[in-house]
Amino acid sequence: MKKTIGKKVTKKTTRPAAKAAAAPAAPAKVRVATMWLSGCSGCHMSFLDLDERLVGLMKLIDILFSPIVDTKVKDMPQVDVGIVEGCVNNTDQEHELRMLRDRCKILIALGDCACTGNIPALRNQFTLKDCLARAYEQAESNRISCIPNDPLVPKLYPKARPLQEVVKVDLSIPGCPPDADTIWYALTELLAGRMPQWTEKNLRYD
Amino acid sequence: MRSETMTATKKISLTINGKVCAGEPGQTILEIARANDIYIPTLCYLKGLTSWGGCRLCIVEIVGSPKIVPSCATPAVDGSKIITDSPRLHGLRKATLELLFSERNHICPMCPYNKGDCGLQHQGYLHGINNVRYQYLYPAMPVDLTAKYFGIDHNRCILCGRCVRTCDEIQGVHTLDVAYRGIRNQVVVDMLKKFSESETCTSCGACVANCPTGAFFDKAAAFRGPLASCQTVLTTCTECPLGCGLKVFVKENRIVNVWGDPDSPVNRGHLCVKGRYETWAEPRERITQPLLRDKDGKLQPATWDNAIATIRKAAKAAKKTEKALLVAPRVTNETAQTITKFTGKVDRLAMYVTANEAALCSEPSFNADAMRKLEDADAIIIIGAQPSRDNGVVAARIRTTVRKREAKLLIFHARKSDLDQYANICAHEVSLEHQFWNEVAAVLEGAQKPAILYGPNAMTPIGVTVMERLIKIFEGHPGGQAPTLIGLPVGTNSLALAGAGIEAIEDVGPWLDAKPLKFLHIVASDAPDGGAGLLDEKYVSDLLNQIPCVVVQAGYRSALTDKAAVVLPATIWCEKSGTITNLEGRRLSLRPVLPVSGEAREDAAILESVFA
Repeated sequence: MKKTIGKKVTKKTTRPAAKAAAAPAAPAKVRVATMWLSGCSGCHMSFLDLDERLVGLMKLIDILFSPIVDTKVKDMPQVDVGIVEGCVNNTDQEHELRMLRDRCKILIALGDCACTGNIPALRNQFTLKDCLARAYEQAESNRISCIPNDPLVPKLYPKARPLQEVVKVDLSIPGCPPDADTIWYALTELLAGRMPQWTEKNLRYD
Repeated sequence: MRSETMTATKKISLTINGKVCAGEPGQTILEIARANDIYIPTLCYLKGLTSWGGCRLCIVEIVGSPKIVPSCATPAVDGSKIITDSPRLHGLRKATLELLFSERNHICPMCPYNKGDCGLQHQGYLHGINNVRYQYLYPAMPVDLTAKYFGIDHNRCILCGRCVRTCDEIQGVHTLDVAYRGIRNQVVVDMLKKFSESETCTSCGACVANCPTGAFFDKAAAFRGPLASCQTVLTTCTECPLGCGLKVFVKENRIVNVWGDPDSPVNRGHLCVKGRYETWAEPRERITQPLLRDKDGKLQPATWDNAIATIRKAAKAAKKTEKALLVAPRVTNETAQTITKFTGKVDRLAMYVTANEAALCSEPSFNADAMRKLEDADAIIIIGAQPSRDNGVVAARIRTTVRKREAKLLIFHARKSDLDQYANICAHEVSLEHQFWNEVAAVLEGAQKPAILYGPNAMTPIGVTVMERLIKIFEGHPGGQAPTLIGLPVGTNSLALAGAGIEAIEDVGPWLDAKPLKFLHIVASDAPDGGAGLLDEKYVSDLLNQIPCVVVQAGYRSALTDKAAVVLPATIWCEKSGTITNLEGRRLSLRPVLPVSGEAREDAAILESVFA
C-alpha cells in the first residue's frame, strides 16, 4: 500500500492549485476524479447544481474519471483530487476506494454517507443475514425470493463504513446532500490553497 | 431556582470573560452568565429543571484552578474569574460532541427534528464539526411507537435526562427514568415497559417538547416541516377553565405542533394531553358548511342564506314561549354578550353544565393567582374535583407541590385517580366519625398556607359538610391562616358566563320539558363531542326528537348534529378570536391561528344572523 504517498503529496498539491487560482490562464489544470459508492447520487446532483459556476470551474479543473462524465480512460488515472460520494458497503467499493486513495493526493468525502455512513449504515444495526433476507426474501415486492449469489456480485460487508474507517480522508464535506454553495466554497478554498473553515453558516448534516 | 423569593442578603460579583457580572448568592455560574448575555453552550440544561451536569458542554475554566467545572451545576463564588471559551474548552466540547455523535445512530437526514430544531445538530454546527474522529458504534437501539401521540427513538437519544427531569419535576408522574449502566444506559418507561403498558404516563407530551434531539417526537408533527421554519401564534387553550397559554406552530395554514406558552403565567409552558394533542392530533370531522334536512330527512349542504331563511321561518312559526336557546359553557365572553342581547327573543336561555356545577356558578368566584398559591401551599385539599382527569396542569402542580415540596394532600369525595397515591388522607367516601376528623385535623396541624380546591361535587351535601368541618378545623388553629379557596368548574367559561347572567342548568330534560318547545337553538360551539353529551340522557334525546326545529351550531359533527333540522358550521379554537375568563379571573385572549375553514362563522356572528 502506498498510503504514505497521499500524505507526502498533499502539501505539494495545494501549490499548483493555488497557482491555478491566481493565474487562471496557467495550463496546468487540477486533475479530479469522482466516485460514487453506496450513495444515492444526490451529492453528484448537488455538484451539478453548481450550474453556471461549472463553466468557470472547468477552466480550473479537469474531471478525468467520474460517473457523470463521458470517461475516455479505461483505467483510473493519477489525479490531484478524488471526490467520493457514498460509504463502503461491499468488497468492490473498498477496492475502488483504495485504488483512488493510492492515485489521488487529496481525498474528499462528499456528503453524509461518505462522512458518517448515513442511510446505508442503517443496516448496521442488523445482521447481514437479516438484511439480505429482508431485501431479497421477505420484501413484499419480491416475485422470486433469491439472495444473489453469482460470484460476480460483490460481497456485502457485515457493516457499511464511512470512508475514514477504510482510508485516510483529507476533507469531509457533510450534508445530505451538501448544498452546491457548500461544495463551491470547499472547492474554491482548496483551489486557492486553503483548507475550508467550518462554521454554523456552512455546516449542514441534513 | 426560585431566586426571586430568596431574601436578597448580598449580591455577589464575578468576572466572566473579563466582564464584571452581578448575581445572587446560590446562583450557578451558568445562570449568572445567561443573565449577563454571555453564551455558554448547553444540552442537558433547561431552565426550570434541576441541574444535572450530564452533557459537559457548559464546562468553564476558573482562573487559578486547574479543574474545569460544569457551569450549570457549580454555584458562583464571589470574586471568582471565569473563562467560558478557550482553545482547551473548545477542544473538550468538540470531543464531547463527537463522542455523542458516534455513540448512537444520529442520522440527521431522516430525523423529524432536523433543519434547525435539534440541539445536538446546532451544537455540532457551532463547534465546526464536519467529521467525527471516533469510530461510529452503530448500536442496535429500540424504538417505542406504542404511545398514542408520540414516539421515542433511542437511536437519537443523548441521555441528557431532560425528559426524565421534566416527567418528574414538571408533570410530577416520574414515568421516565434511566436504566442500565455505561454504554447500555437508556431512558425507560416505568419499570422497563412500553408506553402503551405504562400506568403512570399521562401523555402530556412535555418530554417531547423538552427533548433537545429527535429522540422524542410527536407523531402528528413529524415530517410536517421543521418547527424553526414555522410561524408561531400564541393563543389560549379552551379545553378547561384553566386557560393555559398555547404556542401554536403553523406552516402553510396547517398546524404543525402545539406547545405550551412558556411566558404564560398560568401554565408556564406546561400542558396536558387535551391542550397539547387532542385538539389537533385527533381525527375529528369538521362541519364546514350549513346543512339542511331535505324531504327524505337527510342532511344536505345548503347556503347560509337558505339555512338562515329556514331557521327564521321556523322561529317565526313558533310563539315566543315555544322557543329556547341552549349554550355550551365554553363560548367566549364576547359571544356571551351577544347571547344576552337575545334574552327577550326566547322563552328560556341557559347553558348546560355538568352535575352540581350550577351551584358553583350561582356565586361565581375567581381566585386571582390561584396557580401560584397552589404551588406555594403546604397543604392541598381536594373536594369533589377531578384535576387528574379534567385539568391536567392543575394535577401536575399538585403532584409537584406534594412530592417535591412535601405539602400535605387530602382528597375528599372524589373519584379514584393517580393523585390518591400521594395523599395523606384519601376519602372517596367521607366518614362523619370523630376519629376520622381528628386524623384530618392532625394532618392539617401546623399548615400555614392551606389551599382548598373544590369542584362541582363539593356543592353536594357531603361536599358542603366536608367544607364546613375543614373550615372549623382551620378556625381552631391558633394563628393559622384561612385556606385559599380555589373553585374548579368543569365548563371552560361557565363562571364568566354565569357572571354575565346566563343561567346554568344541570338537568336539561326538565328544562326542555317545562313548556312544549317548537324551536330550540343549541350552541355547541367547538365542544370536542359536538354537543353529543346532551344525548347521554335518553329523556333529553327523546325530547329533542319531539321538537320540530332543532338548530345546532357546532364545529364538529356528532350524534347531536345528526339529529338537528339545521346545522350551522361554527369556528373552532384555532379559528376563534375573543376572550375567556379563567378560574383565576384572568381574561385570556384567543387568537386565530388558521383561516376559517370552509364557510364556518364565529358563534356570535351566527347568533346575530339567527336572532337579530
